[in-house]
Amino acid sequence: MDVLGEGLLEALRLLLTGDEDTWAITALTLRVSLGAVLIAVLLGVPVGSLIGLRRFRGRRMLHAVANTGMGMPPVVVGLFVTVLLWRSGPLGSLGLLYTPTAMVLAQAVIATPIVIALTAAALQQVDPDFVLQMRGLGATRLRALGALFMEARLPLLAAGTAAFGAVVSEVGAAQMVGGNIAGETRVLTTAAVLATSRGQFALAIAFGLVLLLIAFAVNLVITVAQHRQTVDR
Amino acid sequence: MSIGCRELVVAAGGRVLVAVPALDVAAGETLAVLGSNGAGKSTLLRALAHLGSAAQSGTVVLDGHAATTAELRRAVAAVLQRPVLQRTSVIDNAAAGLRLRGVRRREARRRAEPWLDALGIAHLATRHARTLSGGEAQRVALARALAVRPRVLLLDEPFTGLDATTRADLLADLRAAVDRQQPAVLLVTHDRQEARSLAQRTALLVDGEVRQIGRTADVLDAPADLECAALLGFTTQLPPALTGRETTLVARPEHCSPLVGSAPPPPGSVVVDGVLRRLVPLGGAIRLDVDTATGPATAVTTTDITATPGTTIQLAIPREHLRECAPPPP
Repeated sequence: MDVLGEGLLEALRLLLTGDEDTWAITALTLRVSLGAVLIAVLLGVPVGSLIGLRRFRGRRMLHAVANTGMGMPPVVVGLFVTVLLWRSGPLGSLGLLYTPTAMVLAQAVIATPIVIALTAAALQQVDPDFVLQMRGLGATRLRALGALFMEARLPLLAAGTAAFGAVVSEVGAAQMVGGNIAGETRVLTTAAVLATSRGQFALAIAFGLVLLLIAFAVNLVITVAQHRQTVDR
Repeated sequence: MSIGCRELVVAAGGRVLVAVPALDVAAGETLAVLGSNGAGKSTLLRALAHLGSAAQSGTVVLDGHAATTAELRRAVAAVLQRPVLQRTSVIDNAAAGLRLRGVRRREARRRAEPWLDALGIAHLATRHARTLSGGEAQRVALARALAVRPRVLLLDEPFTGLDATTRADLLADLRAAVDRQQPAVLLVTHDRQEARSLAQRTALLVDGEVRQIGRTADVLDAPADLECAALLGFTTQLPPALTGRETTLVARPEHCSPLVGSAPPPPGSVVVDGVLRRLVPLGGAIRLDVDTATGPATAVTTTDITATPGTTIQLAIPREHLRECAPPPP
């Protein structure tokens, strides 16, 4: 109990006094994870939309793969990306291993199936005649599609936040492809693991608190959005 | 603006769903397309608006010339059977058609507002669409379509699932709204009353083909063949073998009455013998299912019936209620 209590106090002190290292790590965490989510959205929303709206050969297979990918262990992703980027690996000449770029890549691989699967689900829950009715009112294909995305905006927002939540909290891939180099590739999760293994519980708790804070802020956004949409019956 | 089609064929999976050589609805006219479930009514409506997912050939014509999809988008507003509304307020739903055509929000709301009024839902303007009843939602869907002032209005059974009072009110409100705008209206329905109250002309669609078309009153009263007859409620069909006539005679069950006691049949009426299969009380009237030598016949009567199932019975149908009917084309 002592360790926990003292750790908490120390953690708060670290955060409130604006410990430079902590904030630098937080900033890198956000940069890496937001970058990964951006890539995942750019790839996942179009693919998820195709799965959700079109019938084509291999659609079910793709959907199944995306659904499976949602539960992909980050360590496995980290392993594959590491092998790819390894000096003697296929992409080794790029020299990306142990850089934030490599971490963005690995986390994008984790986040993309989540965005694909949740985008498909978000669009499938809209009335199947929605686009047809919008076109029947005079909408061009593009405008009808825009109306569809507006209609599904909440579940789509949830897809993005789920992806962000998954990558900001993962440690395996970040550790493997980033290497947890101080000042370069150290993010909140890898820093917390290191501090804990060194017995620096206060520091580890501080990192944990910041992670929680980020998670809370993200969920606050979506909760507020949901409540604005909820209506009294 | 008039809308129509030439040599329109819609097919899916190697099966022809709709084949209509020519159909025209004039500006300001309402044409009802009457058909049973699966006759291809919705398919025809969607094909006319280039909204269908099935392959279609032939042309859709607007004011006499072949129309492109873009021209159809501008001219047409379609109301589907189920009101598909957006997750927003009633007024923004009513304005959605205009918004989808590029009108700014404020302007779209301003132009949609009178139509909420016309359809009796002005008091719901700020309500969320998801809190509406079925009838209210359908009114919003109609207001949304009318607000774009379409030159062609396509209605796909928009009154299905509404209670009788709501439906009657909505029919009247729609009639008034359409009279203001004078669009060409195509109403797809399986309900004769809807055709009667809205449409100047009616087409009967059977198996994807227009079997009969003409003034609504004429079509509803004179079926061209036996399938049209069944569609129009002339369900008691008396083949030549039963009546000794040259063609099959058809009648509505409510015009067939059982002969009670030794009372003579009304002069000039056709009388058929049969065995009473069952009696179904319909609240005031009684429905009699009778097996004749050639098949079942149905009568609906308000007179007291003493006959019991299994006994022979005579049905009389006055001449003025009988229609001569050819078999359907092969």
